[in-house]
Amino acid sequence: MELVIEGLSKYFEKKEVLRDITFRFQKGKIYGLLGRNGAGKTTLFNCLNRDIKTDGGDFYIDEAGQRRETTADDIGYVLSTPTVPEFLTGREFLKFFIDINQKNIQDLKSIDEYFEIINLAEEDRDKLLKDYSHGMKNKMQMLVNIIAKPHILLLDEPLTSLDVVVAEEMKQLLKTLKEDQIIIFSTHIMELALDLCDEIVILNHGKLELVDQENLNNEEFKNKIIDTLREESHA
Amino acid sequence: MLNSFRISFSLKNTYRVNSIIYSIKQIPILKRFLPDTLYKNLGIKIFAMMLSAVWELMTAFLGKFLYIACMIFFMLSLYDADDPDIFTHIFACLTVIGAVMNTYMFDPTNDKYYAICLMRMDAKKYTLSNYLYAILKVVAGFLPFTLLFGLLSGVPLITCLLMPFFVAGVKLISAAYILYRYEKYEKVMNENLPAKVIWSLTGIMLAAAYVPPYFGFVLPNLAFLLLAILVILAGGFCLRYIFRFQQYREMYQILLADKKNGTNVDVKKITEEQTRKMIIQDASITSKKKGYEYFNELFVKRHQKLLWRAAKRVAAISAFVVAGLLALVQIEPKAAEVINGLMLRYLPYFVFIMYLINRGTAITQAMFMNCDHSMLSYSFYRKPETILRLFAIRLREIVKINLLPAFVIAAGLPLILFFSGGTENVLNYAVLFISILSMSVFFSVHHLICYYLLQPYNVNTEIKSSTYQIVTWGTYMVCWLFINVRLDTLVFGVSVTAFSILYCIIACVLAYQYAPKTFKLRA
Repeated sequence: MELVIEGLSKYFEKKEVLRDITFRFQKGKIYGLLGRNGAGKTTLFNCLNRDIKTDGGDFYIDEAGQRRETTADDIGYVLSTPTVPEFLTGREFLKFFIDINQKNIQDLKSIDEYFEIINLAEEDRDKLLKDYSHGMKNKMQMLVNIIAKPHILLLDEPLTSLDVVVAEEMKQLLKTLKEDQIIIFSTHIMELALDLCDEIVILNHGKLELVDQENLNNEEFKNKIIDTLREESHA
Repeated sequence: MLNSFRISFSLKNTYRVNSIIYSIKQIPILKRFLPDTLYKNLGIKIFAMMLSAVWELMTAFLGKFLYIACMIFFMLSLYDADDPDIFTHIFACLTVIGAVMNTYMFDPTNDKYYAICLMRMDAKKYTLSNYLYAILKVVAGFLPFTLLFGLLSGVPLITCLLMPFFVAGVKLISAAYILYRYEKYEKVMNENLPAKVIWSLTGIMLAAAYVPPYFGFVLPNLAFLLLAILVILAGGFCLRYIFRFQQYREMYQILLADKKNGTNVDVKKITEEQTRKMIIQDASITSKKKGYEYFNELFVKRHQKLLWRAAKRVAAISAFVVAGLLALVQIEPKAAEVINGLMLRYLPYFVFIMYLINRGTAITQAMFMNCDHSMLSYSFYRKPETILRLFAIRLREIVKINLLPAFVIAAGLPLILFFSGGTENVLNYAVLFISILSMSVFFSVHHLICYYLLQPYNVNTEIKSSTYQIVTWGTYMVCWLFINVRLDTLVFGVSVTAFSILYCIIACVLAYQYAPKTFKLRA
């Protein structure tokens, strides 16, 4: 399975934020999406999630040569500020989610088993989500995406504000998820991108570009990425 | 100091001009033709600058005009005695309230934050120059109207002339005292969060302003003149202190500390906090239902306070009023006659009442803040079938909640009509009952439809749709205008019922057609 983007463009008034983007994302890989502030990473995600209309081009899923439109079920989107329904408890939220999505969930587990996956303490499971910490909310949002297993997972700066332990847990979790999914992960933190991602993609001046590691070591690769970002900003 | 006034004034002006341009850009249709580069367009800048100047003049004069007209001049008619001293008496008492509630200096405004904290202007020079300007504005703003209304009420010319300076004097004394308190005890006052003492003082002064004149006790003109002269002298002395005060920067950094997290968040944060507080923390709340019904039931139960409790309260009050009126028509035949007439002519008035008691806005706001705000970021929640399924459930709930108080009123009106003398046409009873219920359903549907079709909020829970605001405002205006309409109950009742039914049908068709597209977070 591949996510194919063809000639995707997006303008805000006269400013061209995404310029004729063409790219293929493959299943089983975590893509690190790097770009400078305001480069359009969130815009790209919003387009893929169909939160905003595109001004040109198309994107679709290619399954063994069969082309089909992406549906809401195909895409999971985790925002940098976690959003969960505050009036429900963690358990109630999961129950509701499972009720609604039952027919799409493969090998359904019990709610407590799901909580185990993200390491959420037993005493927290029946608390209202409004009293959850930032990290716990983030875990819940991630968990919902683990349960639903969307084909494409978009993560917008997800680990930036988590403490080191939770961030590490999430990283391990993502690595176990990637097998069946396309994970696109936007971040500002180069080390995180290099550590977690299989491919580094740069969004600069409205274009997406794969940076090839070739046989460079991490330090050299890092410099190459920075150079690319810098050069293109002068282009 | 003049220089720092010039800079701060132009800063304030730029920020005001930009806000005006921003608001212009929010107008639907018009906004499509306006580019982002509007902010550097000289023509529109001059236009906005003119609006800004008009605004400055309005705050200086219109406010004072309304203040003296409404709080003093028109109030004079309440008293039998035709004594010009009442004017001065009320004026003097209210001035004390103004001096603590409206200090200018201790109001943590955005322009102070920008100038002192962000631009690092000299806090003392900035404050003093702007403060002097504010005080001059007070004097200049008051003078024409103390003269106009004062002379009209028979107050001596000299008193009218002194009044504005008296206000300035009291304000200076109060400002100096607050600064002194900071110097001595490091206590910072924020005029938007008045302490209990200040509320009590306000209460006392309000009472002192309006109650004693009723019994003939007022401040004699001569006493006011003496007081005014004393206050003005003391004010001059206090001004010296204000000029010598050295700790403006420290004080403002404390006063403006909350602004650091963004300058416009306060109101929004407070609303968010309050809506969140509406969630009831009670472990015994559960639901046996499944799926959307489960979700909805938990939402309703956890928002009991906001939803049912408020509706029950309104229902109880309505029942109380109905009972009162029923008793009244029994014991007072005269009142019965009047009320009977009201029942047959004043039904349009109930449009406004039904609008006021409808909880639609509060409910949709809570739906967004505590639920949809987060849920809309999940793709399953934005599927058309989910949106429409929940829409139907919510419509049912919102109608149910609002029908409770509506039912009390709907049942009460025919009863009152019957016991106040009845009517020849029996249809009137039925029409009263049905039209009140249909108005209630209409408003419930209207609020929910506006929410679903115009979903006005963005991720940061800011209202981003000016169409929504225009519709809300328009609804209010239309309902308000109905206050003045007198129509035969039969005619009006039948029309309003027919309109409501038609509206609900059209609205629901539109919702099923468009809500899946419109119900999402605004960019």
